[in-house]
Amino acid sequence: MAKKLTQIAIYGKGGIGKSTTTSNLTAALSKMGFKVMQFGCDPKSDSTNTLRSGQYIPTVLDTLREKGSVKASDVIFEGFNGIYCVEAGGPQPGVGCAGRGIISSVELFKQQHVFEELDLDYVIYDVLGDVVCGGFATPIREGIAEHVFTVSSSDFMSVYASNNLFKGIKKYSNTGGALLGGVIGNSVTEKYSRDILDDFAERTKTQIMEYVPRSITVTQSELQGKTTIEAAPDSEQASVYRRLAQRIVDHHESSVPSPMEQDELRKWAASWSDQLLELESGVVIGGNRAGI
Amino acid sequence: MSGHIERPRTTCALGGAITTLSLLPGVIPVTHSAIGCGGNLYGAIATCAGNLGEGTIGGSHIPSSAIGERDVVFGGVDRLEEELRATKEIMDGKLVVVATGCMTEMIGDDVQGVVRELEEDDIDVIAISTASFKGDAYRGYEIALDGIFNRYLPATKEKKQKLLNIFGIVPGFDPFFRGDLEEIRRLLKKIGFEVNTFFTGDQTFENITSAPEASYNLLFSSVWGRELVETFEERHGTPYGIYDLPIGAVATEEFLRRIGTELAVDQELLEKVIQEENNHYYSYFLRAADIIANGQYFYYAEIIANSNYAIPLQKFVSEELGWHADDIFVTDILKEEKANALRKHFEESDVQGELLFESGTSEIGRLIAKRHPRNQGQRYFDSDTPLFLLGSGIDKYTASELGAQTLAVSYPVSNRLICSKGYAGFEGGLHLLEDIISVLVAGK
Repeated sequence: MAKKLTQIAIYGKGGIGKSTTTSNLTAALSKMGFKVMQFGCDPKSDSTNTLRSGQYIPTVLDTLREKGSVKASDVIFEGFNGIYCVEAGGPQPGVGCAGRGIISSVELFKQQHVFEELDLDYVIYDVLGDVVCGGFATPIREGIAEHVFTVSSSDFMSVYASNNLFKGIKKYSNTGGALLGGVIGNSVTEKYSRDILDDFAERTKTQIMEYVPRSITVTQSELQGKTTIEAAPDSEQASVYRRLAQRIVDHHESSVPSPMEQDELRKWAASWSDQLLELESGVVIGGNRAGI
Repeated sequence: MSGHIERPRTTCALGGAITTLSLLPGVIPVTHSAIGCGGNLYGAIATCAGNLGEGTIGGSHIPSSAIGERDVVFGGVDRLEEELRATKEIMDGKLVVVATGCMTEMIGDDVQGVVRELEEDDIDVIAISTASFKGDAYRGYEIALDGIFNRYLPATKEKKQKLLNIFGIVPGFDPFFRGDLEEIRRLLKKIGFEVNTFFTGDQTFENITSAPEASYNLLFSSVWGRELVETFEERHGTPYGIYDLPIGAVATEEFLRRIGTELAVDQELLEKVIQEENNHYYSYFLRAADIIANGQYFYYAEIIANSNYAIPLQKFVSEELGWHADDIFVTDILKEEKANALRKHFEESDVQGELLFESGTSEIGRLIAKRHPRNQGQRYFDSDTPLFLLGSGIDKYTASELGAQTLAVSYPVSNRLICSKGYAGFEGGLHLLEDIISVLVAGK
C-alpha cells in the first residue's frame, strides 16, 4: 500500500519570514527521513533559494511561457538532502494574472500525478500570504492541501493577514477545503509578542505550533544561501525548527478557525495598543494581560 | 438584482459592441478576448437579429486575439499587438476598434498601451472596454459609439446647420434598425435635412467623421445612448433631443411637428410633407381597414419588446389599429435609474396601459395568463380575447400556450429575414400593419 501523502500550505504576510520558516521546516522534515517537496507559490519565486545554495531555479510558468507545455520533471530540482524544489513563478509585475499562474502550476502537477510517482511524504506549499485573489487560495481549495499553517509575527498587519486567511479557510471549509492547523509564531522574542499571538489564537480558536525567535543564526545561514538546518544544525535555532517539524508530523486534526470581523479585530488591536503603551510608560492602568 | 435570466433577449456588452462596430462602414472590430467569445456571439448576432448575417467583417469573421491560458497568466498584450498588426495588413478599413472581453479586463491588460504604440501606423486604432460585467448588448452599443464619437473623433465647433445624426436605434438588438433609419432619414430629408444614419448601406466612413459637424442629434431612445449624446454635446457642442421611434401616421406626424418646431423648419414645407405622407399612408390604410373591420380583427395586444420599441408599438396598436393593449412588457434588463427614466417618460406621454419590467420569458407568460384569466367553462365569462402577442420569436411558445396569435418584432427574431424593412414612420407603419394583419389572415 502506498504511503499517505500529506500536503501542507503555509501562508503569511509578505516579508514575515514565511519562506525562511518553510525552508527550515522542509529541511528538518527531510533530515527526519521524510521525502519532501517544497512548492513555492509566489511570483517572486525565491521560496526554495536557501535549499539550493541561493540558486534560483527555472519556474513552472517560465517554462510554460518558453516551451508552451511543461513536463513536471523539467521543473523539479533537487536541493538540500534530496528535497524536491519547485517554483510556480509568475508573470512580470503589473501584467497578466499571477493568481491564474498558481492555479495553472498546481493543476499541472495534479494532472501529471507527480506526487504519487515521487512517493512523497510531504508537499509543502509556500504561498504569498495576502490572499489577494482566488488563485492564491488554490492550495486551500479543491482538496489539495489538508492542513494550513500561517506564519505570523505579533505585528498588527501580519495578524491582519492571518485573520484574512482564516476567513478564506472558513469560506472553503464547507466544500472540502483545507482546515487550519495553527499559527507558527515568527520573530517572537519578547514576551508581549507571545502574549499577543496567544490571545489572537485563543480568540480565533486555533493554536500556536511554535514560537520561532528572531535569530542572527538565520541571517548568517541565509547569507550563505542555506537554511539554518543545513548551515548551523547544532544551533538553538535549528532545534526550534526541528521541534516545529516534529509538531507538524504529530499534527493530524485541523479545524475551522473563527476569524474576527473587521471591527472586532480593530478593537482587539486597539486594546493591545493600550497595553503596550502602559508597558512602555511603566504606568499600568487596569489588567495585567501583557504580563506585567 | 438577484434571480435568474431565462431565455435572454440580449448578449454581453462585447456582443452589442461588435454588432455595432461590424455595421459601421470602414470600421474593423477586433476582439481582445478568449477564443470562444466571438464564436459564441456569432449565433446571437447573425441569426437572432432577423438573420442579420455576418457581412464582410461581422460574426465569425471578426479578428480576435483569441487568448488562451498562457496569455491569461502572462498578459495578452503581445498576442493582441500581433493580431492588430496582422489585421491592419489584411483588412481594408479606416479605423480598427479593439473591444475587450471579460478575461482581458479581469487580468488588467494594458490595451490602451498597445493601441498607443500603433498610433503612428496608417490605420487608426482605438480600444473600448466591453467586458460583460460592464453591461449587456445595449451598453455595448453605447460604449462602442462613445469610443468613436466622443474619444476618437476630434472635437469641433464648426457646424453644418442642416446636418443631423441619428442615435439610439441599436443595430441588431433593434432588428428593424436599417429600415427604421432609412425611413427617418427619408422624412427628415423631405423637410430639408441631411442625415447621418451610420448603419444603412449608403453610409461611408465620411459620415462618421462628419458627425461632429452635425447641428443636432436625434436620440430615439429614452434609455440607451443618453450619456453618449450628453458627452457628444459637451465635446462637440451639438445639442440633442430625445424621441420615441414614431410608428404609423399619428405618431410620425406628431414627431415631424415637434422637429418642425425644435429645428425651425419652414412651416409651409412641413405642412406639405405631412399632407403628402398622410395621403399616401391612408390611401393604403383605408383599404386595409375594410379587411380589419370585415374580419373583426380587433385584438387584445400584449407588447413584449425592449425599451426602445415597447412604447412606440403600444401607441401603434392602440392609436392606429384601435386595439386594447394594457400590458407593455419591457424586456431589456434595466438598472433602476434607467427603468425610472423610462417610467417617467411613459407617465409623461399620453399612452394607456401598464409598464411592466420583465425579462424572463416564462414569467411573462405567467403574468399574461394571470392578468387575463381564461374561461374555465363558466357560462358567462368576459375574457380578454382574442389575444395577440407582439413580441420576440421566443414568445411563440407562450402564444401557443395561451392560444394567442403572435408576431416577432423584437430581439430575438430568428424566424424572419429582415433586410430593408422597418416599422418607423409612415412606410414602417404600413409595414407593421401588413405584418400584423397577415398573421391573422394567414390561415385563410
